[in-house]
Amino acid sequence: MDLRPDDATRERVAQARALGRELVRPVGLEADRLGRPTPPEHPFFEKLVALGLGRTRWTGEPAAARADAPAVGNARATLCVAEELSFWDRGVAVSFPGPGLGEPPVLSMGSDEQRERFLGPFQQSDRPRWAAFAMTEPGAGSDVAGIRTSARKDGDAWVLDGDKSFAANASRAEWIVVWATVDPSLGREGHRAFVVERGTPGLGDFKIERKMGLKAYESTSFTLRECRVPGANLLGGEAHYARRAGFKGAMQSFNATRPTIAAMAVGMGRAALDESLGFAREAGLLRDTRVRDRLERVRRRLRAARLLCWRAAWLADHRRPNVTEASMAKAFAPGVAFEAASLGMEILDVVGGRGDHLIEKLFRDVKAMDIVEGTGQIQRLLMARKLVGLPRDPGPATPPRA
Amino acid sequence: MIDFSLPAELELLRETARELARDHLAAHERALEASRGPDDALLGLAHEMGLARVELPESLGGAELGALARAVVLEELGAGDPGAALALDPLGPAAYVLAELGGPEALETFGAPMLAEPGARTLLVYDRTPRLVDSGGKVTGRFPWVPADRADLLVVLEMERAYVVREGIALEPLRGAGLRSAGAGELRLDDAPIAASWVSTPATRRAHARARLYVASLLVGVLQRAFEYARDYALERVAFGKPIAHHQALAFLIADLATAIDGCRLLVHDAAWRLDQGDDAVEACAAAFVECCEQSMFVTPNALQLLGGHGFMQDHPVEKFMRDARALGLLLGGVDTAREDASRDLGDARPPVALTLGEASWT
Repeated sequence: MDLRPDDATRERVAQARALGRELVRPVGLEADRLGRPTPPEHPFFEKLVALGLGRTRWTGEPAAARADAPAVGNARATLCVAEELSFWDRGVAVSFPGPGLGEPPVLSMGSDEQRERFLGPFQQSDRPRWAAFAMTEPGAGSDVAGIRTSARKDGDAWVLDGDKSFAANASRAEWIVVWATVDPSLGREGHRAFVVERGTPGLGDFKIERKMGLKAYESTSFTLRECRVPGANLLGGEAHYARRAGFKGAMQSFNATRPTIAAMAVGMGRAALDESLGFAREAGLLRDTRVRDRLERVRRRLRAARLLCWRAAWLADHRRPNVTEASMAKAFAPGVAFEAASLGMEILDVVGGRGDHLIEKLFRDVKAMDIVEGTGQIQRLLMARKLVGLPRDPGPATPPRA
Repeated sequence: MIDFSLPAELELLRETARELARDHLAAHERALEASRGPDDALLGLAHEMGLARVELPESLGGAELGALARAVVLEELGAGDPGAALALDPLGPAAYVLAELGGPEALETFGAPMLAEPGARTLLVYDRTPRLVDSGGKVTGRFPWVPADRADLLVVLEMERAYVVREGIALEPLRGAGLRSAGAGELRLDDAPIAASWVSTPATRRAHARARLYVASLLVGVLQRAFEYARDYALERVAFGKPIAHHQALAFLIADLATAIDGCRLLVHDAAWRLDQGDDAVEACAAAFVECCEQSMFVTPNALQLLGGHGFMQDHPVEKFMRDARALGLLLGGVDTAREDASRDLGDARPPVALTLGEASWT
């Protein structure tokens, strides 16, 4: 047992801290004040690229060679860095250039040719580049099986039609992994993932949503209207779906991400706790047992949340099943982080009501963490399936009429 | 690098403790409660197995396996019957007070005789008020409850000092709210002579921390057992056409119970690991204790709730889990005293670095 990150990881965390203090926190406060995502031409992104950030973790090796890849992964280190960056500003961390959430499905489902074509450019560091991931629709959030964006084969190409919601960085993305269905009655087995490249005719109507918090990155809705996508952009090719792995592909990318999202919540909760402590100390409130007890509870639960995150990542790094553990972390950490921010508001007292304190921003930012990458309720469903064999909902007895 | 695996020897130890807990504690928990303690055969078996000595120094016949090993063993025994676990440990958490305040000599003088034969009992009480009054080296007073019917040695921990009493320890039997498998009595001292005493605030805090981790480990075991019992019941019991575990209201509750318990266990293991790294872990141990106490009052009443009316009846052990958990949380000064130790540093006048990653002072 070892409950401390190694030196290399702590070095990376220290770098993230320096970057966070110097650049990330100020850019986050700016975006919140101005009420808009940091524009792609903002010099901040150039600086990140100059620092070597925003690149893919794809090594360029073909998939066959990856079989010999080291047996132990580095999710733990990734998670520690994510926690630290989110301590400074989680919204800004999501706005970082790079393939983002588009990367996992391309890595796990894509062919060697697709990885080269889509992730290859992200090996360069000449300019900021983004990619995106679009599953959620206006009528399908947690129930991902219910997506209605259609995919119709037309010669060698596919034609996509539908609406997508809340996709991070979508309007600035080089390409978007779009999930669509060849037949809604097939449920998850009808799902297909396409890489839709920027400028593809029919891809448009980008609408940057207005949000309560996390304003630094864009959450964008868009439409696909008779959008023709080359057959070569179907991730994994048709054979992949013949093996009926379509849905698993999507869920796999979630599983790799859940402990990291939970760790981000821990980072945000830590920020709220630190700010609350600083404020309480200045105001002479730490002599008050009632205040100290509640701060103590938040610190203790943040520590428990962090340990839950670490354990899930440790299991993932050793290629051991972690569905229950990942969901525990994701179900637990956002609630604790919210408690930290809400307590912080109480400690601020009427100062919190002004709307210009970092804790107030965190209070708005942190609620999203119980929603993105599977709501707390979805996490409980996943856990219950493992813990008590909760059956999947068979759905309505009679299909709704079209 | 971050690694949650237990060393192979601890896995073996866990297995051994689990078998004892299952076959000799859980299997007879109602009988243990009724008889207010293990019988001679069980005391002899536990003595022979030596699980109470995993952390003790070699000079006392211990294995010196560390705090994590102790936590793992106590978790298993707590899942069997936490009262019996206390009764089967002749020195118990009092060993920490002897070691931290009195050093190896005190452990040898007072501890070794407890370990010689099966069946000895050492009491550790945290006396904050104080209820036991020292007058010229003789103690008089009553302590309203200790989980024991008899004791060979009494160790009293105060905020700044600790002392040992060997003679004149009288116990007036009580029914007891929980932990009845260890007995229950009111402690009465009437000019009982103090055999040794030591003064040191840092040492009392270190000893208190380790003692709290002892109780927290037992609590994790109780919570795990309560969870498993209630989950298994909820999978068998059918209502409205399906196992009650498959109704979402209860399925989600079961998921939350499991999460709460894992959080508790990880905090206990984290605190134990820190101790094994040489950290005094006063705050981490207190925090783990508080978390276990708080969550025990989420987990055990809800485990009972999952059984509905059956949970309230004594044919099932879940009502005992709830009483035992509540009683464990009253030991060693209880949860509010622990909150003080868990939050003391928050009042310090240093810059806020709560839970900072990668700093020298790793919290």
